[in-house]
Amino acid sequence: MVDFRLDAVINGRKVSRPAKPSQRLLDFIRDDLNLTGNKEGCGAGECGTCSVFVDGVLMKSCLLPVAKAQGARIDTVESLAKTGELSVLQKAFHKAGASQCGYCIPGMVMAATAALRINPFADREEIKERLGGNICRCTGYQKIFDAVELARDVQNGRLPASALLEEDYTDGDFIGKNVRRLDAPSKVSGKLKYAGDMTMPGMLHVQVLRSPHAHARIVSIDTSAAEAMEGVEGVITCADVPGEDGFGVFVNDQPIMARGKVRYVGEAIAAVAAEDLVTARRALAAIKVEYEALPAVFDAFEAMQPGAPVLHDYAPDNLTKHIPIRVGDVEKGFAESDLVIEETYSTQAIEHAYLEPEAGLAYVDHDGVVTVLSPSQNITHHRHMLARIIAKPISKVRFIMSPVGGGFGGKEDMIYQGMLALLAMKTDRPVRLVFTREESIVSTAKRHPSRTTLRMGLTRDGRIKALQMKMVCDGGAYGLSTEGVMRKAAILGAGPYAIPNVQVDTYGIYTNNTPSGAFRSFGALQTQFATESHLDMAAERLGLDPFEIRRINAMQDGGFTHTKQKLGKVSLTKGLDALEKACGWEAGPPEQRGATRKDLGRADTRPPVALGARFEAPGKQEAAE
Amino acid sequence: MLICDEYLTPASLDEAFAAMAQHRGRSRIVAGCTDTLPWAREGRAGDVNIPVLIDVSRIPELNERRVDERRVRLGAATSIQSFLDDPALARALPAMPRCAVWFADDQIRVQATIGGNIVNASPAADATPCLIAHEAEVELAKNEGGKIARRRMKLADFVQGPSRTGLADGELLTAVECDALPGYGGSFEKVGHRRSLVISLVCLAVLVKLDAAGHTIEDLRLSIAGIGPRPLRLAQVEQFLRGQALSAGLLEQAADMPAPLVASRTRQEYRREVVRGFMLRGLINAAKRAGADPAALTPELEAAYG
Amino acid sequence: MARKRGRGMAACWYGIARTATVDRAAAWAEIDDGGSAKIVTGVTEIGEGILTVLAQIAAHEMGVKPEHVVIGDNDTARSPEAAHAGATRQTYMIGNAVALASREARKRLVDVMADVWDVEADAIRTGNGEIWAENTNHRITMGEAVHCAKGKGVVPVGSASFGTDTTGLAPTDGAGRPWQAYVFGAQVAEVEVDTVTGEVQVLGIWAAHDVGRAVNPQGVEGQIEGGVVQALGQGLMEDYKLDQGHTSTHGFAKYILPTSLDVPRVNSIIVEERDPIGPLGVKGIGEPAMVPTIPAIMNAIYDAVGVRITALPATPEKVLMAIREKERRDAAMAQAAE
Repeated sequence: MVDFRLDAVINGRKVSRPAKPSQRLLDFIRDDLNLTGNKEGCGAGECGTCSVFVDGVLMKSCLLPVAKAQGARIDTVESLAKTGELSVLQKAFHKAGASQCGYCIPGMVMAATAALRINPFADREEIKERLGGNICRCTGYQKIFDAVELARDVQNGRLPASALLEEDYTDGDFIGKNVRRLDAPSKVSGKLKYAGDMTMPGMLHVQVLRSPHAHARIVSIDTSAAEAMEGVEGVITCADVPGEDGFGVFVNDQPIMARGKVRYVGEAIAAVAAEDLVTARRALAAIKVEYEALPAVFDAFEAMQPGAPVLHDYAPDNLTKHIPIRVGDVEKGFAESDLVIEETYSTQAIEHAYLEPEAGLAYVDHDGVVTVLSPSQNITHHRHMLARIIAKPISKVRFIMSPVGGGFGGKEDMIYQGMLALLAMKTDRPVRLVFTREESIVSTAKRHPSRTTLRMGLTRDGRIKALQMKMVCDGGAYGLSTEGVMRKAAILGAGPYAIPNVQVDTYGIYTNNTPSGAFRSFGALQTQFATESHLDMAAERLGLDPFEIRRINAMQDGGFTHTKQKLGKVSLTKGLDALEKACGWEAGPPEQRGATRKDLGRADTRPPVALGARFEAPGKQEAAE
Repeated sequence: MLICDEYLTPASLDEAFAAMAQHRGRSRIVAGCTDTLPWAREGRAGDVNIPVLIDVSRIPELNERRVDERRVRLGAATSIQSFLDDPALARALPAMPRCAVWFADDQIRVQATIGGNIVNASPAADATPCLIAHEAEVELAKNEGGKIARRRMKLADFVQGPSRTGLADGELLTAVECDALPGYGGSFEKVGHRRSLVISLVCLAVLVKLDAAGHTIEDLRLSIAGIGPRPLRLAQVEQFLRGQALSAGLLEQAADMPAPLVASRTRQEYRREVVRGFMLRGLINAAKRAGADPAALTPELEAAYG
Repeated sequence: MARKRGRGMAACWYGIARTATVDRAAAWAEIDDGGSAKIVTGVTEIGEGILTVLAQIAAHEMGVKPEHVVIGDNDTARSPEAAHAGATRQTYMIGNAVALASREARKRLVDVMADVWDVEADAIRTGNGEIWAENTNHRITMGEAVHCAKGKGVVPVGSASFGTDTTGLAPTDGAGRPWQAYVFGAQVAEVEVDTVTGEVQVLGIWAAHDVGRAVNPQGVEGQIEGGVVQALGQGLMEDYKLDQGHTSTHGFAKYILPTSLDVPRVNSIIVEERDPIGPLGVKGIGEPAMVPTIPAIMNAIYDAVGVRITALPATPEKVLMAIREKERRDAAMAQAAE
C-alpha cells in the first residue's frame, strides 16, 4: 500500500498527514482527525449523513476517495459552530424541534447551510429540492423545513434574532410548553457521540461472518486459519458461549451465533476481533464453514402445511404464536347483516432504516463486570439474557445505553451485543462493532409481512354486526417479538368500534426469511389497514360518509373492548369531530368523488412536486443564481 | 469495501496513459467515483481489491467544454451539475437541464461526470438518452506508440447493454460531442419510485423544433431509456413526425409507436403504458416550449396527458 | 386531467404501555444544590424527546427550570429500572414515575421550609426556581432552600415506581385487560395520482390524536409528522424484497425511503382527554400516529381514481395497472349496458 501525504485545509486548519489510498474522505476525517460530527449512514451516497463542504461545495464524503481532497478546503459540521456559538441555522433547528434522534442532523444542517448559501431567499419548495439528498427517518422533515425557513428569515432580517430563542416560560408551568429540546445543541453541532463515534484505548475491531444460506446444517467451522493471522486477537463461534445460549423477546430461540444450523441468510456464524477493520474482514474470509443444505420454506402459508420444512424442534408446526379473540357469535352476526363484505389485504416487509446502523462497544471492567455499550431500546432485558448466556450473576453484567440514532422497534433485539461481550471476555480488550448499512438490512428484524382476510357484516344503517379476521404473518426464522405483535394485532384489529360479534385470529409463522420483529405500530398497523379500508368500502355501498360510518360504530364512554375490558372515556368521536372540522371535510359517501370535491388544494396542503418548475419561471431561476 | 494500494491522479492524458500502461490488468479508471464506491459493497460486488485506481477527473482536457451554434463538445469529466449552472449549455441542450434536475441529488450531481454516466452504461442512465437525442458521439483516445490516437463512435452504438460499451482495452473516453439545438423545445419525462435520488423506471428525452407559426414540426429528437438493455433513439417516430403539422391526432398516433420496443426484463406492461403517456406528455411539453400555436393542441389532449 | 386528486380518511386506536402484562418504571429525583435537579431513571431516549419531556415534568413538579434538570439515563448498573423504549410507553410510564418521585423530593424540601417558616406545608408554592409561602413575605430561591434543608440534615430526594393494573389475555377468547390507557385518533389524506405514470403524491395529512395531555406540543407534532411519513413510506414505496431468502434490497439505493420531496404537509390536531389513572394525565403518541395513515392514503387514492389498493405498497406500477384494469372493466360494463 502506498500511503501518501494529504495536504488540505480542514475546518480552517492546515492538515498535512499520511493518508491511505483506500480511505474515503469520511474515514479520514472521522478516524484520523476524530471529527466524528458527520456520520456514516449508508456508505453509498444515498443518505447524506456524511455531507461536507469541499471547496465550499457540498458533497457526500462517503463517495470521495480521500485523494480527491488533495489541496482542497474541507469543512465538516464542526466548522459551523467553531467559536462555540451555534450558527443561525443550528439555532433554528433547535428552536423548531428539527432534531429527533439526531443522526441525520449534522448532514442535514450542512445541506441546509448549502441551500441558504446558494439561495438565501429559497422558498419552502426549493429548500425541499436542495435537501433531497439527505434522508431523515424520524421527523417527517416538516420541522426541518420549518427550521430552514426560520433561519432564512432571520438571516434576511425578516424576523428578529430573538425568534430563535425560547418563549419566555416563567410561570413555572412547564407542561404543555414547547420547551426546546435539551439534547438538540449536541445534535445540531455534531458533538453527540454515538457508539460508532466512540473509541477506547487498545480497542479491537469486530466483524461478523454471516450465513449465505437460508437453511443449512453446519457440518463444521474451521477458524484456525483466521486465528493464525497477524493482527487477529480473537475468533468466536457458538462453541464460545459459556452459559445457556438463546435470546429473544418472548421465546429465547435465537443463539448468539448459529448453533448446529443456520435459519436465514445473514445469520451470524462467527465473529472476529482484530487490530483493524481490514484485517478483521480478511480474517472472515479465512474462516471455513462446511454446510449441508436443508429444505427451506419462504412462505408462511406453505410453512403451515403438514410436511413443510421445520425450523425449530420445539415448534413442529412452525407456529410461533396464535392469538384468538372471541366476542358473541359471528355467524349469527353475519346472518343479521344486510351487507357482508370480504376482502384480503396484504402488507410487505419493511426495514426500520434508522439512520444509525447498529454499533456497540464492550469491555470487561476492573471489577470483572462485562460491560456493553450500545444503542439498544431494551438494555434492562438484554442484561438478564446476557447474564444467563455468559453464566455470570446479574451484578457482573452491565449495559449502558449509547445515544440511539433511531430505533422504531428495530433495536429491541440483542442480535450483536452477545458477540461483543464474548469477544471482550475472550480478548480481554475493548472491542467495537459497527454494522454496515447492508449488514443492518440483511440481519436485523423487519416489520411482519401479513395477509389478512377480513369479513364484515353491517346492517343498512351502517352498524357493524360481525367482524371476522384472520391474519397470517411471516415471522421469519426467529421469534423475536412475533408473539407480542400477534397479540397487539389481534386486540386492536377490529378497530375502535362497538361490534357485538367478533372473531379474530392472528398467526405468527416461522419461515426461512429474515426474522420479523418489533416495528412501530406493532401489528396494529397491518390489521387496522384492513379494517379501515374495509369501512370505506362499506360506507360506499351503504351511501354513508366515512366519518359518519365510524361515528355510528365508535366505542362509547363506558363501553367494552373486544377483550371485554370496560373502557373509561373514549375520545374517538371527539377526535373525529376535531379532524373533520380542521380539514374542512366535504361530507359524502366515498364513491370516487375526487373530481367534484370542493375541499381540495387548501392552503394547508403542499403543491405537488414539479422538478424543473424553476425553468418555467425565469425570475426564480435568476434568484437562485 | 474498495481496497486499493495506490490512487493515482494523473495531471495529463499522457500521464494517464502511462499509468494505464504501467498498471495494465490491475487498475481501474475512475472519475467522480459516485458509482465505483457504492459498487464495492455487499449486494453488488462486495469487497473489491483493485491495486491501482486512476482518477482522470483532474486532467484539464477532460474538463474543457466548447459550445457554438452547431456543436457542443463536453470533456468527459464535465459534471452533471454543469447542465444546470452553465447557461450556454442549457441553451444548446434544451432537455438537459430538465434531465439534470432529476439526476440523483444536488451533491452527487456536482461530483458525477458525464463520461462516467456513459461508460457505466446503465440501462436507466438518465443523461445518455438526452445526449443520444443530440446525435452525440464519443471520443475515445489511446496511446499508440507514444502518440495519442483518437477515434469517434456514435453514442447510440457505444452503449451496448448493461455495463457493456465499445470501449477498447487501453482506451479512455475523453469527450462527448453532440448537436447544439438552441431554439428547440425540450422535455425530459421520468418516473421512479420517489422524487429524489431515484433510478428511472422509464425516462424519455424530447426535443422539438417548430416553424415560426408554431404549426409544423421542422425537426424533433426522441430518445428513451429504462425499457430495455440500453437507451434507444426513436428514429422511426421521428421520421413519422418530421415535417408534419402539429395536431392531437398526430401525436396520439406517434405515441403508440414505441410500445413494441419495450424489452425490459420486468414491468413490461407497465412500461408500455408509461411510454405511451410519456410520448404524449413529452411531445406536448416540448412543443409548448418550442412555441407551439395553442390551437394546434386540443385542450382535451393537454388535460389528459399534460 | 392527467393528475387526479382525492381525499380519504381512517381512524385508529391504540393501547399505551406494554401489552397484556404488568408494566412498571421507576425514577429517582433530587433537588440539588443551586436549585438544580437530578433525575435518574433507566429511560431510553430514542429521538422522541423523552429527556426533554422528563425535564419538563421534573421542573414543573419540583419548581425548578427545565434547563437546570440533569438526567442520568439508562445504565443498568447506575439507574433504576424503567424498562424499554417502545409500546408508546415512556411518557406514560416514566413520565408518571418521574412526577411521583419529584413530588416526593419536593415534599421533603417543603416540609423543611414549612418548619423553618412556621407555615402550613400546603401554603408553600414552588415554581421557576423559587419557593415561597402564600400570603407571607417568605420567598427565596430553590438554591437557598436546598442549602437551608441540608443545614437541617435533609437532602431533598424522592423515588417512585409507577405500575399498571393490567392482565394477560384468556387463551380461548382473549378476554383481559391488556392496557389501562387507550388512545384514539383519525387522519385525513389528500393525494394526487398521476394517471400517466401511476405516481401518488400525498399533498396533505390532517392528523387528530388523543395524547392525554401534551407535555411538549412541538414534540407531539414531531412524533405525528415522523409517524405519518414512515407510514407513507410503507404505503407507497418501501419494500424489503426477498427471493429464496436472499434480499435484493441491500442498501438505500434499492430500499427506497421517503425523501424531502415525497412528504405531505402534515397538520397535527392534538386532542387531550386526560388519563384518569396516572398522576399527570398523559398518555402517548409514538405508535398510534402511524396507524391510520396508510388506509387514509389508500382511501384517498380510491376517491381520486376509483381503484382500491389492498396489497402494499401502492407503487406507480400497481396503481397504474389498477387504473387500466378499471378502465377496461368500466368499458366492458358500458358496452354490456348498451
